Amino acid sequence: MVLSGRSRIKSPWMLHFDTGSCNGCDIEIWALLSPRYDIERFGILNKANPKHADILLVTGPVTRKVEDRLRLLYEQMPEPKLVVAVGDCASTGAPFSDCYNVNGGIGRVIPVDVFVPGCAARPEAIIDGVVLALKTWKERKFSSKTKDETIKEPREREVRN
Amino acid sequence: MSMDLAGILVSAALFIFAPIGVGLIMGIDRKVTAHMQNRVGPPITQAFYDLVKLFGKRPMLMNRGQAVFAVTCLMMQAMALAVLVAGGDLLVVFFVSGAGSVAFVLGAFSARSPYSYFGAQRELLQILAYEPVLLLVILLIGYDRGSFVVGGINSSLLPSLILALLALVIVLVIKLQKSPYDIATAHQEIVSGPYVEYSGPYLAVTKLANWFETAVILGILTLFFWNGNVAISVAGKASIVVIAIFASQIIDNITARLTKERMVKFTLTAGILLVAVNMTCIFLVRQGVL
Repeated sequence: MVLSGRSRIKSPWMLHFDTGSCNGCDIEIWALLSPRYDIERFGILNKANPKHADILLVTGPVTRKVEDRLRLLYEQMPEPKLVVAVGDCASTGAPFSDCYNVNGGIGRVIPVDVFVPGCAARPEAIIDGVVLALKTWKERKFSSKTKDETIKEPREREVRN
Repeated sequence: MSMDLAGILVSAALFIFAPIGVGLIMGIDRKVTAHMQNRVGPPITQAFYDLVKLFGKRPMLMNRGQAVFAVTCLMMQAMALAVLVAGGDLLVVFFVSGAGSVAFVLGAFSARSPYSYFGAQRELLQILAYEPVLLLVILLIGYDRGSFVVGGINSSLLPSLILALLALVIVLVIKLQKSPYDIATAHQEIVSGPYVEYSGPYLAVTKLANWFETAVILGILTLFFWNGNVAISVAGKASIVVIAIFASQIIDNITARLTKERMVKFTLTAGILLVAVNMTCIFLVRQGVL
């Protein structure tokens, strides 16, 4: 079990989803994959497939059109999984929070583990966010007694608009 | 094929350590690739972290057939490796491993997903490309030695079969899912092809099957060197594997993905040509012409 927990932290495959972002944060996420930030050194691979992914990196304020797709992607990811909201839009909706066609942050649609602020979020901040998410995972993992408890927790926190 | 206790122990150890070795090779492969691209790269044990993590995830299936085919594929590849390390018949190794590849394709076809279908079709084309070449190389080994039994090979194949070794490197590039022939698992194009509908433990099973498959092809490569002295023999075998993997890695890093038509065309022409020239040479040497 310890081995499995350690492997989980050492090999978080990511899925990136743009929910109507201006592409500022997306560019910064792509920068992570470049040799300069080389996120593969943490074992992170960009999988582009919810069924292989452990971490969902979401950018954008979640337009109403994309809301169902975001929920679908989240549900297709096998447990255990993490969600990181990248940027101000993904965290709160930022300048778009009052728009009629926007949900105002991904927390309104799926449970979020870590919010990374910034417009756009800097690559260093995104790495910090992912590492922080993995840390909360580790604590949750080792503090809870049963596996089911860790899996149910996000579902209970789910907020529907 | 009479075997004593020591022989059985050596075979069992090889069977257990070969896939572990392949996992390490994959880790080193990623590290070296990262350094070639001026990156730091993941630790060399990364492949094991990935595998253990996948086994620890919650199982999710599209249908039951997926799991059946994944496990069949793993068992076939493991059986092929078992026959190889036990010093069995190369043809049996080839056909059992081939059946495993077909089981994997069926697993990909069993899920109703366009990417999975694309991947399965492309995997079939890959099999069409490398399988004849691999079979011809094995037939050539049989022609050269008069037998397909691995245990009977007690001198290096390298001097007489050097062109066949080159043909095997082409096969290796496809089997290791590397550019320019990572047609089926093309990540940017069709996500990960036949793997796309697998997740968690079942993905881990298919990955493990791939490790065994790679161990089989690397095992065939090790036959090209043999020496009476065990230390020299092991060193020679290891260096052939290292050189072949490094060559495939360089090819991976300096080429872009080609189309599936070009893969089939090139692999069949170059592979069959290399084997044919090699066979002609062996024939001429036997006739005393060369």
